[in-house]
Amino acid sequence: MTRGSIFKLFAYAVVAGAITTAVAVFIPWLPTAATRQADRMWFSIWFAEIIAIVVFAVVAAALIYCVVEFRVKPGDTSDGPPTHGHTMLEIIWTAIPTVIVIAITIVAAIVIHDNGKAGTNPLVIKVVTQQFTYQFEYPNGKTFNILRLPKDRNVKLDLSSKDVIHSFWVPAFGQKTDAVPGITTSIVITPTRTGYYPIICTQLCGLGHALMRSEAIVLESTEYDSWYASAGEAPAAAAGGTDGKSVYTAAGCGACHVFTAGGSAGTIGSSLDNLSVDAAKAGEELNDFIRSSITDPDTFLAPGYAKGVMPSTYKSSISGAQLDSLVQYLAENTK
Amino acid sequence: MASKANHHPSAARQRFGSDWRAGRITAWLTTVDHKRVGLLYIWTTLGFFAVGGVLALLMRAQLATPNENFLTRGSYNQVLTIHGTTMIFLVIVPILAGFGNFLVPLMIGARDMAFPRLNALSYWLFLLGGIVLLSSFWAGHGAAQGGWTSYVPLSTLHMPGHGEDFWILGLHILSISSLVGAINFIVTIHNMRTSGMTWTRIPLFIWAILTYAWLLVIVLPTLSAGLTMMLLDRQWGTHFFDPVHGGSPILYQHVFWFFGHPEVYIMILPAMGIISEIIPVFARKPIFGYKAVAYSTVGIAFFSLLVWAHHMFSTGLPVGLDSFFMLSSMVIAVPTGVKIFNWLATLWRGNISFDTPMLWSLGFIGVFTLGGLSGIFLAAFPIDWQLTDTYFVVAHLHYVLFGGSMFAVFAGLYYWWPKMFGRLLDERLGKLHFALVLIGFNVTFLPQHFLGLLGMPRRVYTYRPGGIWEVYNVISTVGSFLMAVGMLVFVLNVVITARSGRRASNDPWLADTLEWYTTSPPPAWNFDRLPYISNARPLRDVRRRLEAERWK
Repeated sequence: MTRGSIFKLFAYAVVAGAITTAVAVFIPWLPTAATRQADRMWFSIWFAEIIAIVVFAVVAAALIYCVVEFRVKPGDTSDGPPTHGHTMLEIIWTAIPTVIVIAITIVAAIVIHDNGKAGTNPLVIKVVTQQFTYQFEYPNGKTFNILRLPKDRNVKLDLSSKDVIHSFWVPAFGQKTDAVPGITTSIVITPTRTGYYPIICTQLCGLGHALMRSEAIVLESTEYDSWYASAGEAPAAAAGGTDGKSVYTAAGCGACHVFTAGGSAGTIGSSLDNLSVDAAKAGEELNDFIRSSITDPDTFLAPGYAKGVMPSTYKSSISGAQLDSLVQYLAENTK
Repeated sequence: MASKANHHPSAARQRFGSDWRAGRITAWLTTVDHKRVGLLYIWTTLGFFAVGGVLALLMRAQLATPNENFLTRGSYNQVLTIHGTTMIFLVIVPILAGFGNFLVPLMIGARDMAFPRLNALSYWLFLLGGIVLLSSFWAGHGAAQGGWTSYVPLSTLHMPGHGEDFWILGLHILSISSLVGAINFIVTIHNMRTSGMTWTRIPLFIWAILTYAWLLVIVLPTLSAGLTMMLLDRQWGTHFFDPVHGGSPILYQHVFWFFGHPEVYIMILPAMGIISEIIPVFARKPIFGYKAVAYSTVGIAFFSLLVWAHHMFSTGLPVGLDSFFMLSSMVIAVPTGVKIFNWLATLWRGNISFDTPMLWSLGFIGVFTLGGLSGIFLAAFPIDWQLTDTYFVVAHLHYVLFGGSMFAVFAGLYYWWPKMFGRLLDERLGKLHFALVLIGFNVTFLPQHFLGLLGMPRRVYTYRPGGIWEVYNVISTVGSFLMAVGMLVFVLNVVITARSGRRASNDPWLADTLEWYTTSPPPAWNFDRLPYISNARPLRDVRRRLEAERWK
């Protein structure tokens, strides 16, 4: 290789590297980290990113150089030099990538080790998922549909599922774990920024997968403490509350159904605003109709809806008293 | 083996001339000729490719703007499931089998595959499997809706109707087809090489097909087992995957990915083999590091059997187990890199001409490098925790399976088209096809990386309005329709050149391997006689010998 060709190759690599770096730096592609774990995660992403940019620049430079410099002249069908290989080169381009991937592996292993540490006294919140809602159960037994978290405290989320596999992901928290029926999985987060963050299900879980969303709210620890102390105003099903509206909210009905009185606008299931009409069509008394539609959803199907869309788990997850008040609440507030 | 009558054309004509099997259509329906079986595979897969492509366009149309009502949620899930399954099981795997069928006997100097009838069986099973799979759309409650991975318990306990059962049966039939074909490849390559064709003289495409076939034999039974358990769970009340009765949803994922990850390499290794054939021809040099390229093929295949759980990093496996799978997944980058560096070294100081097959191959190197690098991110499991099941994964897998496998497939089609049909495809239309698809491809899938990083999960039929998501999504949709226009140019090219394309000589590209030694298209018996093979580039030897004689 001449000095000129080395210079050209280097120039191509710099240009290719600069373009890729510009894409990486100027195009928004990472949310602002909102937990200590996400900070480490972003570090490992950037570590791999820089290596990837260098590797891509080298490959792109060699490819562009060959395309520009070694084009054939028209009509020339002669052979290039009969080079069959070079053992030293093979060793070099086996060894260097090996070192690189081991380096990434080590960084990743350190990050995962640090991110798994929950400390001595984490706040443990149970995350119960089902089609297509999240429920968050706090140590005092109260359950909510929105996740409130204190800033700067280690939180351990224990995930479980009542039906299919779901996932818990808050992009700005830098963590994602599946909720798998039959086992409990967990993640540790330490929020560092207050604010509102979307919770997203990323595992295809049925018709309503795209709409399975909730919200995480990170509060200053003092605000959190006062909320936690007074949150008794919003009791819920799992806490034994039997107020109809609370049962409606806690059981997650609103994720799938339109119900004006309950303030919900889900579009996966049928509307609950005209239950009297539906009951009349089915030839059933209103309360019986509502009750059996909750416990055995396939008994009366709304037109256009298939069997098996609505979970059949409510029979066991809602207690008798709760069911009574839920039925009453729906019957009183529908048309 | 070919019958004796096949050795001589007039004898063959006498034997089959008045037979009903010699009819224009019946000859194809009853054929056991490896070249015709190969072409049946290729035409059928191109048909399925059109189906899968239209399904993809439907999805991009739905996602062009937020809260679109083009597809309903139920039909969107059906479309995404059948799109993925079609592209993997009905397009990429079988089209590579099609190339293998057409090329393996020609490249190793044999008259046919070891078991010609079995070969025909594997094609007809493939067609049947494809029809069963697609008829899933007409089942009660519509097609399967669980994605191509069809995770349980969603697809066992929570998927009414029979679409999923059609999906299972279709895949069962396709597995048998692939298994039969794979055994045929292995037996053929091991036993039917012409004299002098030793293991270090076979074309690199043959190394790739052999490795592909072994991988299929090793992992397909696992898929069949998983599908059987799923079918039993759905229809006969067993509880393999039902946690309420002691079953495990995670078991299904282990079984599926033990098949599913090697499947990725089943789809990419023969594609890499095609690239390893084309680059030396158009750089007018021997492949750099033949042994390194061949052994890296085997190395990738070996490691691909040890990495399956990197698809399951987010399911709460023990950290120690995750670390092992992270390391083994990372290690695969090394032999993959070796291939890319050897291709670049082959280009180095070559006399490179830019015919359409070469353009697709160079495009492959660029795009596949990007896909490989994004794979590194998914292999590092803390990063995977952020990225898995988002659009980043969608982008990554399209960079390796479309930008990788399908680019190589088009390179191979342009390269071997004259051998298959005796006419060359049009170069200008070919270059237009390449340019449109290359640009459309990157416009479609590059923004999807950003979407995934910003929080868009995969397999959603809608998203909330606002912000840069809308911009990325509309760009992606525009790109997908640009690719579709490119594919129409390809169709136009095929139609136009079918009648008026330039006739091909035996060896229009001045290539290195044996398939170019015979006529284009080859006769039923492939070769009249064959030279003794003394290195990996037998045809170059023949050309040099002819030139030397001319100067005598």
